Amino acid sequence: MAAPLLELSDITKWYGTTRALGDVDFDLKRGEVHALVGENGAGKSTLLAILSGVVAPDKGTINIDGRAVTIDDPSRAQALGISTVFQELSLAGALTVAENVFVGRAPTACGVIRWSELRRRTQQILSPFGIEIDVGRPVDRLPAATRQLVEIAKALSLDARILLLDEPTSALTSDEVAALFDIITRLKTRGIGIVYVSHHMAEVFQIADRITVLRDGRRMTTRAVPETSIDDVVRAMVGRNLEIFAAATALVPGPVALAVRGNGAKGNSRHLELEIRFGEVVGLAGLMGSRRSELARSLVGLQRPPGGAAIEIKGRPTRLRCLRDAMTRGIAYVPDDRKAEGLFLSMSVTDNFVVTALRRFARLGWIERAAAKAAASEAVERFRIRVPSLAAAAGKLSGGNQQKLMLSKWLASDPAIIVIDEPTKGVDVEAKREIHKEVRRLAAAGKAILLISSDLPELFTISDRIVVMREGQIVGDLPTRLATEESVMALASGTGHKHEGEAA
Amino acid sequence: MSVDEVGRWPLRIGSRVLRRFVETRELTLLVLIVAIIVGMSLASPVFLSLANFRAIAIGMAPTVIIAVGMTVLLVSGGFDLSVGSVLALASTVTALLLLSGASIPLAILGALALGVIIGLANGIVVTRIGVNPLVATLGSMSIARGIALVLTEGFSLINLPPAFGWAGRAEILGLPFLLWVALALVVVFDLAMRHGSFFRQLYYIGSNEKAARLSGLAVDRVRTLAYMLSGLLAALAGVLLASRLMSGTPTAGNALELQVLAAAVIGGASLRGGEGTVLGAFLGVVFVALINNAMTMLAVSIYWQMIVTGAVLVVAVALDMLVRRGDE
Repeated sequence: MAAPLLELSDITKWYGTTRALGDVDFDLKRGEVHALVGENGAGKSTLLAILSGVVAPDKGTINIDGRAVTIDDPSRAQALGISTVFQELSLAGALTVAENVFVGRAPTACGVIRWSELRRRTQQILSPFGIEIDVGRPVDRLPAATRQLVEIAKALSLDARILLLDEPTSALTSDEVAALFDIITRLKTRGIGIVYVSHHMAEVFQIADRITVLRDGRRMTTRAVPETSIDDVVRAMVGRNLEIFAAATALVPGPVALAVRGNGAKGNSRHLELEIRFGEVVGLAGLMGSRRSELARSLVGLQRPPGGAAIEIKGRPTRLRCLRDAMTRGIAYVPDDRKAEGLFLSMSVTDNFVVTALRRFARLGWIERAAAKAAASEAVERFRIRVPSLAAAAGKLSGGNQQKLMLSKWLASDPAIIVIDEPTKGVDVEAKREIHKEVRRLAAAGKAILLISSDLPELFTISDRIVVMREGQIVGDLPTRLATEESVMALASGTGHKHEGEAA
Repeated sequence: MSVDEVGRWPLRIGSRVLRRFVETRELTLLVLIVAIIVGMSLASPVFLSLANFRAIAIGMAPTVIIAVGMTVLLVSGGFDLSVGSVLALASTVTALLLLSGASIPLAILGALALGVIIGLANGIVVTRIGVNPLVATLGSMSIARGIALVLTEGFSLINLPPAFGWAGRAEILGLPFLLWVALALVVVFDLAMRHGSFFRQLYYIGSNEKAARLSGLAVDRVRTLAYMLSGLLAALAGVLLASRLMSGTPTAGNALELQVLAAAVIGGASLRGGEGTVLGAFLGVVFVALINNAMTMLAVSIYWQMIVTGAVLVVAVALDMLVRRGDE
């Protein structure tokens, strides 16, 4: 039998006194998708960094096609046929798709770029995968999902034989995930090996041939997908059984906190009626293009409600002109992009925590440090945010802890109504569970919560009701216990019959 | 891990002690300042004299005052090239008002108001229209200087009422009044930037403007106020300079904006925003002023002084980058 495409043995990496990886073995066959899973800090990123030549291992050997290689810098990795699609995209936004795919390698004649040739070659790379993009468009103008495809095309243009995908679906809707998986399948038939890093168990089980679980820098297990289950893998990741979270509670919700009343601009055809009561979590589902983020943002004053709908807060019609309007009425908005929109990465945990309530912590314009620290420390404890210290920069925390910090920061302003966008994107299983618990706790404390998520199991785990949007309309509003993933998907994609839960 | 770690120059500063030391910029500068003072006292008999220090203090006072405003702006992610021109304009406008018979307080208020208005204009153009601060203040720099020259046809305005010279001459407890004003501003704004709930907002805005907006901070208003503060302080420096020189000088403060920027950056502020302290900027000004004074004492040509100031700026920032990289 031929040597595997890629074989790592005894890989060990220390960062100072912390061991990031210890004696890890890993191999990848031609045409295989090998998933790498583990909680944040398990060593997945370090392993990817080693494979892409960003860091060097302290110990261990790497074989490609049975020959020992050293990958001492990123260009060496490229030369060996290893390409990485990082979680944070590395595209030049103002340049076109074609220029991004052939960055630094555009075909030229006497130093002048041959644009038509460049476009033709880019098309050549994209078309076998059924990717249809105008390659002359600036990357900025493309949706996130398409950008991800450009990134993959870029890797393919380098004749990659080994493709490293780091959380490739974190910005994608389920339709787009399906398209991506389609492309991955085609790559497999060409003999390309794919290392697939993800937190998303359902996806991993759908696309991967084998799964390797890392925990604390150790390889726990490597299993072929047909021979294992999500429960087994999660158990290997966290090292214990997770209590399954009891699906939404049956507390009697309070009065209506926030309502959207809309018949829409186009006559009465547009349906946009939504009520969120104190003490309940309403999950908002919808595919990309469903305009669910627009609805969410309009509830916090960041834009006008779609289709000219009206907003009522505690039964009173209200116009929210800006976020601060919403804040003074007790509404908080937790954005989905913690790095770009949520946190101040270079500032301390305490600074991040107090920002929404600077006035509360100030007396005569002077911030009372002691009070601010005490409150931050209380929040850190309550949310179990793992921080080196309260003075540590937020950027130093892991994704899950950043997410918890972002949520806690909003609670510092003591809102009554909370709109949360994608609370667990790119977060590990354990942190996800803690965030879910906290959301339920907030509801139990009487807060009204609207939760937007692309993660259907998540919506089913924590919502009391699930509201489905499609094309700017609310097409379904059902109690979680009556909904199934299938029925929600059917409503969201418009394939199913119309569900009129709100008519009840 | 992120992509931008790829392909960086693998230079790191190793020693932990050294790193700590370089990390606290104020401390580094303080040690360097003491080193210059000690070294120069040995090298030159004139250096360590009250007269020399007084000259340094008076010379740098306007720069310090402007550096306070610049630091506040830099922290918010802003930038102001117009300060040197505003200083000149304020100095000429004060003189013009005095010569046309206005009372001293009125003349001063007029000049300060003008500074605030220019700052407001900068702020509006930057925050509401979205013009890059470099471009916006490059424009106002040219406009303000032009107005000063038009008003005076390029000549200095002299024969100001003697009483106006008080601020430039007065001494309190043996130190020049100008220095007291500068020091007071440094202390007040340093503390305000550390503890004041209004000024803390600048760090959030400079660190991540989008997140600041989504956290409910009034980003545009705060940034505009920072520009107004910068304009006000530049105008104040201009008024004090006019008092010291007893003239309105349309060519004063040429290239001052670059000196102030250099000092603030040496003091730990970043053009990316989100970091820097007023104390650091103050020490940066002192540091540069001492180096220049030392070179004058050692009879180094003024042209060489420019070269050294430039080198110090680049070295300070490069050192900072190396320390940060060592952190990762």
